[in-house]
Amino acid sequence: MSNNNTRSHRAHKVIERMGKKLNRQMVGSLVACVHCGMCTDSCHYVLTNPGDPTYAPAYKADQIRKFFKRHYDWTGRVLPWWVKARSLYTDEDLEQLKDTVFGKCTNCRRCTVNCPMGVDYPTVNRMARGLLVSVGIMPEGVAVVSKDQWEIGNQMGVLKEDYLETLEWLSEELEGELEDPAAVIPIDKMDADVVYSINPREVKYDPRTISDAAKIFYSAGENWTMPSEGWDMTNFGLFSGDDDLGGAVARRLYDKVEELRGKKLVISECGHGYRSTRCEGQNWGKVDVGFEMESSVVTMLRYIKEGKIKVDKSRNTQPVTFHDSCNNARSCGMTEEPRELLSLVTTDFREMYPNRAENYCCTGGGGAMSMSEYTPRRLKSAKVKADQLAATGATVVVTSCHNCVDGLGDLIKHYKLNMQVTQLVNLVANALVVEKKLAVAVPVMPTEAAAPLAGVTILVADDEPDFVTFASTVLEDNGATVLKAYNGNEAFAIAHSGKPDLITLDISMPGKSGTEVFEELRNDPALKAIPVCIITGKPELRKLIYERAVLPPEGYIDKPASEEALLLNVRRILDHVHHRTSA
Amino acid sequence: MSELLHFAEHRLQEAALVVMAIVYVSRLYWLTRFPAGKERQAPTGLGDTNSRKGFIYSWGNVAMPWAMESSRMKPFLYGQFVLFHLGVVAAIALSFVIPYAPGLLDSSLLVTVFRVTILAALLVGVARIIRRASDVYMRKISTPDDYFSLLLLTVWFFFAFLSVPNKSDAGEWHLLTYFVLTAFFLIYVPFSKISHYLYYPFTRYYLGKSLGRRGVFPLRRMRHPEAERS
Repeated sequence: MSNNNTRSHRAHKVIERMGKKLNRQMVGSLVACVHCGMCTDSCHYVLTNPGDPTYAPAYKADQIRKFFKRHYDWTGRVLPWWVKARSLYTDEDLEQLKDTVFGKCTNCRRCTVNCPMGVDYPTVNRMARGLLVSVGIMPEGVAVVSKDQWEIGNQMGVLKEDYLETLEWLSEELEGELEDPAAVIPIDKMDADVVYSINPREVKYDPRTISDAAKIFYSAGENWTMPSEGWDMTNFGLFSGDDDLGGAVARRLYDKVEELRGKKLVISECGHGYRSTRCEGQNWGKVDVGFEMESSVVTMLRYIKEGKIKVDKSRNTQPVTFHDSCNNARSCGMTEEPRELLSLVTTDFREMYPNRAENYCCTGGGGAMSMSEYTPRRLKSAKVKADQLAATGATVVVTSCHNCVDGLGDLIKHYKLNMQVTQLVNLVANALVVEKKLAVAVPVMPTEAAAPLAGVTILVADDEPDFVTFASTVLEDNGATVLKAYNGNEAFAIAHSGKPDLITLDISMPGKSGTEVFEELRNDPALKAIPVCIITGKPELRKLIYERAVLPPEGYIDKPASEEALLLNVRRILDHVHHRTSA
Repeated sequence: MSELLHFAEHRLQEAALVVMAIVYVSRLYWLTRFPAGKERQAPTGLGDTNSRKGFIYSWGNVAMPWAMESSRMKPFLYGQFVLFHLGVVAAIALSFVIPYAPGLLDSSLLVTVFRVTILAALLVGVARIIRRASDVYMRKISTPDDYFSLLLLTVWFFFAFLSVPNKSDAGEWHLLTYFVLTAFFLIYVPFSKISHYLYYPFTRYYLGKSLGRRGVFPLRRMRHPEAERS
């Protein structure tokens, strides 16, 4: 057996730092478990992995509890074998712990509300994640996203110019659609009554949610604005357990609202973003904010109740159900407002069972969507949610969380459910009655003719034939000429011969990898000016691109990519390059 | 009554209680040395609950089997929990009744209540041992302390059951064993999982306070229409 002398530096640091992280609530949860097993069936991982006790919440908690007991609890220090206390010795021990705390729990807190003793395992689990992160042990996706949030200021690495360009574009679309020069998205307006913060996913993949929200603010006559910086209300600190990151990200947003002298911060529909910004951020950052904060769900509901906007629920007649985000329902008590809003904007609402604070996780929570190494495990555990969704008979599942949108979207595809995922903002905008204006909310797409990519040649390089077919169809439908390559060597050759205007490049390909192709493109005088959009299903691989000593790519898209995201990114890159060359 | 039994019923119990009290106080001191987490944010939720309502609900949770899915869906286990803990209360009460108020056991009704309660707890103890040893999930999470504590209590119930009438006509061995076990139990408890009742008020208080402030406790739920009909 190892001893202190053979303990790895990282293991030593984890044990040492644990003492600084522990508070009374955590210690209570670590000492109070009686191993009664009542929590077992509350976990979606257990229900989908029958007979495997390593998914049981009590077992998972014990992986943290055992080294707590060995170092901080008297029985474990004196008689470790009696209470199964064991220290951490090697980096392999830490890797095993990583597999448990990141890969077998989404921190959904369903076990907490089912524990007779009030043990809050997810809080302890988050603490353990933070300890591992502090010594550099974490899933690659967590490292990449945390790095983006630290360095670029948002968790998807959206550059400021791209963010502002997108808002400008959406603003022009809105103005055109509503035929009113006042219908714009105000940026950095001082003394606004509402400062609206969003999830970077909305900029990258779902700009419709921004334009829908803008339309609602416009219709309500709201004095509102969006910040040019510090606009990301998501917070990867919640998932990584890194309180420093959590506090810094939250303060960035709070500071911007104060700088703009905003009266209220409205947080778009995102479960972990709402929890992090509205609640935990102040605790992590040790700051008290002097302005109000509310979820956009509450804002929209208030507008309808106060008569600021009018809605026509007959525009949303499809059967809908509602999925409670864990962070909203089990950590922030927001369960009734979305249902009340749904009752005002839809005609056929069907409750899901169990619901509210007893609802099951979308299975993509806790940062699981960014940890591709655990995807098969996540999708297997999603069977519980898939069954729940199917039982409602609804064709649309509504959720107030971007993470859940992705998690549910993934499981719907995996389990072949005939359902769509949407958010309340989309339904409210669709039901919105804009006086003297048409109020048909459709996905905001370029207003140029039916072939906005006419005259553009795009090389799609991907080893997945399905993706090549999908991307080609989308791009060709929009007027582009598409060249296709199914491996790295082919991609480079076609780039040379075809001289495309844009290349969409997969990272993992047979032959030359995408990263090699990218570096060669950048180093080739004849090809280096061609913009490249990296497309990958493994966000952590983006770091391979970052590490190259060449100019970064012009864009990224994560798989699975939607038609809207693909078009948005392609058009944005082409517009950007066009502006750059014109200038 | 032999001197040995008298010693076991009085001095031994008193000494064990003192030891337990000292250890408990030091345990609580240890726990409160850790800083309490602070919630800076304004309350969330509908505003119809608060921290106070939250922790009261949280404390009362143990007596509301309908409040948690885990106890609602497993009424048999919840029933076991109730019987087992009633048995603990009865067996502890008995350790005070016999030495300090033996006259109470002249009441055949009280004797019956003690015997039925403790017998039920004894049977639950046996069932729990079987469950812990046979269920793959329970086995995986169990420590030697879990098994020993359960075994200790079950054996203690057995001797408490034998001791209820406080009769020593056929010998004192059962009473002596019961009081020695009680003393051991008192000293062992603070070092074992049995001390969970010491932590219960803390964990449930902090959880309830936090979730009450956040509008989560008391939990809201809409029951399935089929469940409503049944």
